[in-house]
Amino acid sequence: MSQVERTDEQVVRDILSGDRDAYRLLVRRYGDTMHGHALRMTGSPDEAADLVQQALVKGFKKLRHCREPARVGAWLFRILANLCKDHVRSRRKDVPLTLVASALQSGSNPEADAEGAEIRRHIWGALDALTPEQKEAFVLKHVEGRTYEEIAAVMDLSVASLKMRVHRAREALRGLLEEYA
Amino acid sequence: MKDRIHRHLDGELPEDELQPTDREHVDEWARMVDAFRTAEPEMTGSPPWLEQRVMAEIDALATASPIARLADWIVSPKQVRVSPLAAGLVAAALAAVITLPGRDVPSDVSGPSGSGASVQTAAEAVVYVQFIMEAPGAQSVAVAGDFSEWEPTFALDDADGDGVWTGRVPVRPGVHSYMFLIDGAEWQTDPNADSYQDDGFGNQNAVLAIASGE
Repeated sequence: MSQVERTDEQVVRDILSGDRDAYRLLVRRYGDTMHGHALRMTGSPDEAADLVQQALVKGFKKLRHCREPARVGAWLFRILANLCKDHVRSRRKDVPLTLVASALQSGSNPEADAEGAEIRRHIWGALDALTPEQKEAFVLKHVEGRTYEEIAAVMDLSVASLKMRVHRAREALRGLLEEYA
Repeated sequence: MKDRIHRHLDGELPEDELQPTDREHVDEWARMVDAFRTAEPEMTGSPPWLEQRVMAEIDALATASPIARLADWIVSPKQVRVSPLAAGLVAAALAAVITLPGRDVPSDVSGPSGSGASVQTAAEAVVYVQFIMEAPGAQSVAVAGDFSEWEPTFALDDADGDGVWTGRVPVRPGVHSYMFLIDGAEWQTDPNADSYQDDGFGNQNAVLAIASGE
């Protein structure tokens, strides 16, 4: 069996047996997905890459505590998601809500010129008006398009709690539009 | 936002069951989600250097000296989980240390009148506590507490058969909770304890506070 064909469970077992280099397989398998989520949460490629690196190193250190090696990808994602929330919380800044609301109302297809880029930046900035937990739930559900069941399994939450977070995020965004547009 | 709209957006309510007044809100919401999807940062995949940096950091970790690893462990933040009961005991122990001034604890002194436990100091920080429990008719009595990981490893003795069971147990200074186990099956709270604490399961543990002896 070639190295690429090893299952996650086998890879984890090999790493814990001393084959440190096998960890690069997990980095290759999950690095892009993790980076995509970090980028959506932070809006910054540099910050996203730093967070993914932190998460992967932390995952290596704690690998013995991964209770389901077959789901190590979800486990690593959860480490990253927690780091992202902490990061967003720590750098939370005031959002220009009027600009965000007008950008949201200006349409779903901002043009690819400088003005369009500015509009897109403001639209994305609306998510910073949410709590980190609401932002995470909204991004996973409506931007990454995952099902509630998938998200609940990854985030170790009940589907009911998750729905509540998404509902609150929707209400908050809608309130933003009504108040500032 | 109406519950029906949330249910529709969650995929639980088909479009044909929406009311005409809901449509405007649903369309508005669809436009907003489209706006977010269009506006999301460009997905470029993880940077090519990520794998190299992660593996370099991991290699550095693995080859670090034990002292360096220990230093890293000490300075890195840890998540500590403390149960309310444990937190209460620690707080009580600190309070006992603060409120009980350092004083000599004479050998083999009795505890407060009526208490089921008395103390005797020994070398180092261990204190010998005399546990007393009246259990006429019992075949065996043992004491268990946080000092024994709640294992009934310390059997009491009733040599004269008068139903009063006693035994000396080494315990470190501090605040401890304990119970008696009668005939290996029935847990009983010491009726003569200095104080009591809820065990979190609807029962009361006896509590024993021991100041450190000199």
